[in-house]
Parts: sequence; structure tokens; C-alpha cells
Amino acid sequence: MIARELQWQTGDQQVSVRIEESKGHGTFHISNERLPFRILDSSHIEISGRRYRFYVHRNRDAYTVWLNGRTYRLLRAGKSGSQQTLANASTGEIRAPMPGKILRVDVTVGDSVAEKQTVVVMESMKMETSLPAPIAGRVKDIRCAAGQTAEMGQLLMILE
Amino acid sequence: MIRKVLIANRGEIAVRICHTLREMGILSAGVFTEADKNSLHTRFADESRHIESYLDADEIVRTAAECGADAIHPGYGFLSENPVLATTCEAAGIIFIGPKPETIRSMADKLESKRIMQMAGIPIVPAWDSTPSESDFPVLVKAVGGGGGKGMRLVSTPKELNDAMASASREAAAAFGDNRVFIEKYISQPRHIEFQILGDAHGNVIHVFERECSIQRRHQKIIEETPSPVMTPELRSKMGAAAAAAAQAVNYRGAGTVEFIVDRSGNFYFLEMNTRLQVEHPVTEMTTGLDLVREQLSIASGATLQHSQSELRQTGHSIECRIYAEVPEENFRPDTGIIEVFEPPVGPGIRLDSGVGAGSVVSYHFDPLLGKLIVWADSRRAAIARMKRALEEYVLLGVRNNIEFLHRTISTADFDDGKLDTGFLERHPELFALSADVPAEAFLVVSSSDLSLAGNGRRKLVTEDSQTADRDVWSSGSWRNS
Repeated sequence: MIARELQWQTGDQQVSVRIEESKGHGTFHISNERLPFRILDSSHIEISGRRYRFYVHRNRDAYTVWLNGRTYRLLRAGKSGSQQTLANASTGEIRAPMPGKILRVDVTVGDSVAEKQTVVVMESMKMETSLPAPIAGRVKDIRCAAGQTAEMGQLLMILE
Repeated sequence: MIRKVLIANRGEIAVRICHTLREMGILSAGVFTEADKNSLHTRFADESRHIESYLDADEIVRTAAECGADAIHPGYGFLSENPVLATTCEAAGIIFIGPKPETIRSMADKLESKRIMQMAGIPIVPAWDSTPSESDFPVLVKAVGGGGGKGMRLVSTPKELNDAMASASREAAAAFGDNRVFIEKYISQPRHIEFQILGDAHGNVIHVFERECSIQRRHQKIIEETPSPVMTPELRSKMGAAAAAAAQAVNYRGAGTVEFIVDRSGNFYFLEMNTRLQVEHPVTEMTTGLDLVREQLSIASGATLQHSQSELRQTGHSIECRIYAEVPEENFRPDTGIIEVFEPPVGPGIRLDSGVGAGSVVSYHFDPLLGKLIVWADSRRAAIARMKRALEEYVLLGVRNNIEFLHRTISTADFDDGKLDTGFLERHPELFALSADVPAEAFLVVSSSDLSLAGNGRRKLVTEDSQTADRDVWSSGSWRNS
């Protein structure tokens, strides 16, 4: 038998679970629930007597679960991993939300910007996207220029 | 006699055209740019040639001549509505599968097309080529050279007009190579209903019924169906006659679409004419038995139309959902990546026109349309039930997509009741509010897959991202769940 304790994160919620399994049969513990299960094949499972179709896709610690037509996003918690968001309000970082081309940079270093003011315009998949300032402040550093391409998550600008 | 056709397009439409060519015993030649060298359409054609750009008419016609193609099919988008491709084909002695260059030119110019239709007695939406007066707002800024929502902006007040026109103009230049924009009266909450038309080189024109395309995001259709739930035999015959008259007014040759908007009182106005095959053409095919690509080829080789208006019949109901690589809950931002799991639905009444498969790379170079899911059933109710079932069974992982959003949309009472207009999504903000609740069963499944990762040699229950090394999930914003 295999038994493991795992921690998952969804949104800002942390969930601890325990899974016990032997030859495809097992029991799953979550909160105060105990769910008996039986793995039927690589994409079918029976949980508490009901059948489900499922797929799981993993990208590092990020898991996408497809279950009977619904998709859920979960993160393996309790592992290291730096947490970044697109526009980090506390540091004033602006990152590319998707890969694409920088069409325009609307500010220069030293400019004052208002919250939600458009600072960069990108083009991806033939559509323009305006990137707003996450905070009101001053432009400290610009790491991109019109005409350049940016990878998803690439740091474009820092406000302070 | 057409023996080989070069398809000057990519993605799902290139694959779909290949299907008909193959059935007709005609060879297909594909083209691809560097970013598409491993794409499905590149491999699907009988042969494929590398090109620098889908927008270079000279290069495309030269490539067609090099591979011995008799004809070029432009698909939709790219050069399909650019008269330069048709003209270049003519000069090179290659058949352009579409209307005459002068028809394309006059209909591609959205102002010119309105003028022609007005002269033909067809009602049109008012438009301006200079700043309208304050009482005319809100207005729509639209690209003179294009459609599909590219280069289009809704403007509520005069002071926003200049910015909107500049931004629309840039987008129009990038999408159509023509930066001209114009201003049109905004009709609030209209229905978007279009008619398929077919015209031959001998002056015959028929319409092949309507398509209801009112469910749109960013002025782009996402769900289409036929028949329209509001259509009556009287309105259909009035609008159908107007569509046929519009086609007659330009001696239309080939397959085209006359788009109308219909206001809440049932008045209809000519919006534009698309001189090409439409993305949503499959719903017409499903309910009439016609293959519109086959009709295009037959017209292009000089044949007369094979059906008269009175012979055409529509049977049952068909719905199409456009599958996009985008996140509706995050303002429809496009997503990119590799499709790691691709398990499309099958079964009665289901058609899949897809430009991707397992392993396909979705890059930021192109429109995020991955493909279309089309269903047919004997009634609208049954078609909705079938589409729900099909979307529930459609597994596409690795690139975020709108499948569940489409399911939520067609599951609304308003959709069921046929209460559709172009403001549908704005009136249904609940469709964008995802519940953050994850059921215990999902935790179980993900935990069991994690066990199999422990390397005990059992069947693999999880797929891993092929490009994990160079992707940072945190920066994709995937975890902002609501």
C-alpha cells in the first residue's frame, strides 16, 4: 500500500489530504470526509460508487484537473516556488501577461503615473492589450521598448 | 478542370478545404510560414511550401505556379478579401476561387459597399466620414478595409473619438494593411443575422438561408446557429430577397455572405458583405446538405449553380461553437502553449473542424481560433442538448480555452429561449464569475495522479508540460481563479 499526505493550494485556500492506495483501490481523506475509490484506467475512476472521467496535466507544481467536463487549477503546496503575479502591487512590477510584441511605451523614466493608467500597449494574436499601472507612483525603470518582443511573464517596467 | 489547388491559408480552414479537395480527387498544396512549420495544416495537405508571409500575394501566386496549382483558395482572413490576390492570380493565369477583383474591391471598402447597397434599394446603417454631432453618439469606429471586429471600437462620447480612431487605425493597418477607419451609427443590442449566398459566372444567384451570429465577444462571433430562433417565413423571404438583390447588384460570383443587423422591432439593415467563405459556414452545410467548398470549386470552374432557390431546403438545426485559446474570465486574454491533451467529442451529429491536435503549438503569431465544434439535431432544443454534451466531453489541456465558458453560455435560460443579441455577454456577467470551489473528487484525482508520479512503474495518470522548463506558470496569472 502507498499512503501519502499532500498539500494543495487553490486560490488563497490550503487543503491537506491523505491518500491510501493499493492495486488501484484506495481511500481518500479530505476534511472530515473519507472517500473510497477505484481507478478503472488512465482516465476513468470510481469514487464512492460513481464514475468519473478525468485528465490531469502538470506544469511544474501547477496541476490542471479535468473532471467530467469541468477544469480545476491546483498548486502543490509545501514546495518552494517564487510567487509572482502580472502586476505586483507591492513592488510596482509590470510583467507581460502573454508573449507578444511591444507596440508602445507611453511613459519615460521619472514620469508620474496614476493607478490604472495605461503605460504599455502590447499586441498578441493580432489584438492590442493595454497594460495598466498597478499603483500610482513614479516610473523607476523601463525594461522594454516599442518593436521588441516579450516572453510571457517578462519584466517590462518597475514603478515606485 | 481544376487538378491542384493551393490553399493560401492556415489552421482549421486550410484543413477543412483539404477535406473537400480530397473527396473531389483534387490535389492540395499548403503554404506555411516559419512559425507554422510543424502545424497540422502544414502536414495535412498533399504537399506544403514554406513562404515568408500569408499576406504576400506575389509570393503566394509564385508558389502556386511553382507547384503547378491551377487555382488558389484564399480561405477567410489574410488575403481572402484583398483584391490584389485575385488580380495577381488573373495576371498569372491561375483561377482565384472567389469573386471578381472589382467585386472584392467594392465590398472590401465598407463605405463603398454601403453606397452600392443603398442604390440597390437595400436598407443600410447610417455612417459618417467626418466627426458626427454629439447627439449621434454612441458610435462605432470601424475599419474601412476589414471585419471580424479587428480595428473596431465602440465610442460613447466625442472626446474619446480621436484616441479610439488612432488605436483602431493601428489595429486595422496590422490586420488588413489599410489604416482607414470610418464612423457608423451604433444600434444598441441588435441581432446579427447573415445570409449565405451563391452566385455563378452566368448571373444566377441564390441564398442558402440565414445564420444567427448574435453571441459575440469583442465584436467577434463565438456561437452561431441556423435557423435563427427569431426568423419567421415572412422575414426570411424578405431578408433572403434583399441578400440575393445585394449579390445581384455586384454580379456576385462564388460563395459570399450578406450581413444584416436586426433591431428590436425587426427592422433589418445591410451591414457588410463578406466576399469569401465564412468561419461559420458549417452550420449551413449541416442543415442543407451542401458542401460550400465544393460549390465554390464548381462555380470557379465555370459551372452553373446546381440548385435553384425553390429546390433548397433546410432540415433540423445546427449550432457552432468557436473554440478559442483564450481565458474569458480574464477579459478573454489569449493564451499560448502546447496542447498536451486533445480528446475531442465524437458521436451522432457532431462535426469538428480543428486546426490543432495533441502536441500542437499555439503561438502568439496568429488569431487564437483553435477550431470549431458543430452539432446538428432535428430541433433547436435537441441541438442545444447535443452541444452541451459535446462540450462536456471535449478535453483540451495545456492551453487555456473557452470550452467551459461556451457551455455556461448555451446553458443559460436566455440562450434556451432564443433571446439573443450582440449585448448578450455584457448582460450575463455571471458567466464570468467562476466559482473557486474545488470538489473533493478533484482533489482525489489530482492526488492519485501524483501517486503515479512517484515512479512505481504504473500507468501514467498525468501528462506533463513539454515546455515546462521555459514556462513560468506563476507569471501566466493562472491562479487568479475568480
